[in-house]
Amino acid sequence: MAVIEWLADNAFVKDIMIMAKPALFNIYFALASIPIGFPLAVALALGKNSTHRLLSNFCRGYIYAFRGSPLFIQFFMFYSIALSMNRAYWKPWGIDDIVLHPLFLGPVVLIFNTSAYAAEIFYGSLRTVSKGETEAAMAVGMSRWQTFRSVTWPNMIRLAWPAYTNEVIFLFHATAIVYFTLPVINEQKDLMNMAGELFERDYNIFLHFSVAALYFLVISIGIFWIAGMINKRLNRHLLSDASVKIGFKPNYMR
Amino acid sequence: MIEFLPQWFISLIGENWAEKLDYITNGKHLLWYASIRFTLIAAFGGALLVVFFGLLGASLKQSRFWPFKLVGDTYTTIVRGVPDVLFFLFFPLAFEQTVEYFSARSHCTAEELAQVGVWPPCDAAQWYLTQNEYLLLACVSFGIIYGAFAANVIHGAMAAVPKGQLEAAASYGFSSRQVYWRFQVRQMWVYALPGLSNVWMLLLKATSFLSLLQIADIVLWAERLGAPNYFARVGPVHPDWRWKYYLVLFLFYILMTMLSERFFERLQAKASRGMQLAND
Repeated sequence: MAVIEWLADNAFVKDIMIMAKPALFNIYFALASIPIGFPLAVALALGKNSTHRLLSNFCRGYIYAFRGSPLFIQFFMFYSIALSMNRAYWKPWGIDDIVLHPLFLGPVVLIFNTSAYAAEIFYGSLRTVSKGETEAAMAVGMSRWQTFRSVTWPNMIRLAWPAYTNEVIFLFHATAIVYFTLPVINEQKDLMNMAGELFERDYNIFLHFSVAALYFLVISIGIFWIAGMINKRLNRHLLSDASVKIGFKPNYMR
Repeated sequence: MIEFLPQWFISLIGENWAEKLDYITNGKHLLWYASIRFTLIAAFGGALLVVFFGLLGASLKQSRFWPFKLVGDTYTTIVRGVPDVLFFLFFPLAFEQTVEYFSARSHCTAEELAQVGVWPPCDAAQWYLTQNEYLLLACVSFGIIYGAFAANVIHGAMAAVPKGQLEAAASYGFSSRQVYWRFQVRQMWVYALPGLSNVWMLLLKATSFLSLLQIADIVLWAERLGAPNYFARVGPVHPDWRWKYYLVLFLFYILMTMLSERFFERLQAKASRGMQLAND
């Protein structure tokens, strides 16, 4: 009993309990962005690689712009654009509550951002898919779509996976700045909000920020773990030393 | 601004454009343009410290003395696992509190020190930081965060230096420290340059966080200038123009990225003169 009482009274344990719910908001932002960001990134990568001049240049420009500017500015920009379009569009259509809601707008901006970064990764891996394999597929009489489906696509994903994992980690970390730019509604606070609020209560920055950091660290390791299992599956046809390895510190760069 | 312009110029561009030109060169806008200095100081000051922390971290990671290696690995791992903005806010505030803690120990009474949830315990211990001091702390913050990234790049580049060159140096009688500083570190730059250019891009984009430390940088000014303006005497001056200002910042950062890319391309070409690189 004494142990439980001590635990319930411990400031560190208390903080961990308080921040469990805010952590869900960070996880939500990441989870809501990935299912749309991933296919969009693949599409952009294929577009950049396409022989169609206009399409290729558009994708190139999109990727360059969103990789070349800070997410922080992108958040401000999209939020202010959405705000200024409110009177003309959202309000008459009756969707202003949804469009301007951070739980909607946050993932939208994150999707714009992460799809550009991931597209560059997929574009890179698309270029490294071995020519011999696609030529072999053509030689046995596969159509372009069949070649893509059975050779280019699986290789592209497999080669890009470690770097894409890295991008997902960066995306998860980027969710920390959502509420620095978008309004906080009621109790919908994320880890940074909560850490800041607790800090303003008792000025114990070392405790509160460390607990928030711990949440980010632990969830990041969880993402690596899940991504590592998927990576193993993607490489299951290869000898273990030929496959691409994934670890807690493969690619540092975004 | 408009009064300094010759009449023919105003008639050339028309009254309408002259008015706009006048608006974007008024005092507040000039302050906005001048506030780019904070961004640039943070970027260049941060970059210097990034190189310093990067070399330090890489040396620690490469060390054969295991406690050093552990410190180096922990440093890069923790910074890697935590969002940059969290650490960026944490470091200046934590530094301020640490200083205040020591000044409180010497300035405050025992009763004041015993209070819970009050910071600082007494007014004498309060450290009011100026904008420039926050800027300095922000630079150090950037140095620590992106230094961990640079440490990894440099660590990898160190391993890429051909072993034969280091062995040759050792066989000429250089001590291991001399081999490290005079050969490995000097040769490493060419291999580290592409990675370091990436770190610079990250750092450049992170300079947009300065406004979180209440530094009146370009982002804070964009917010101030763009917010709907209303004077009781004049009425509404302009509606919500924030998106225009943020669009300018968006383009500004893209331009900075372009310039940096050009610069690093040149540097890479210059640094790899006479080098046989795999991708040549």
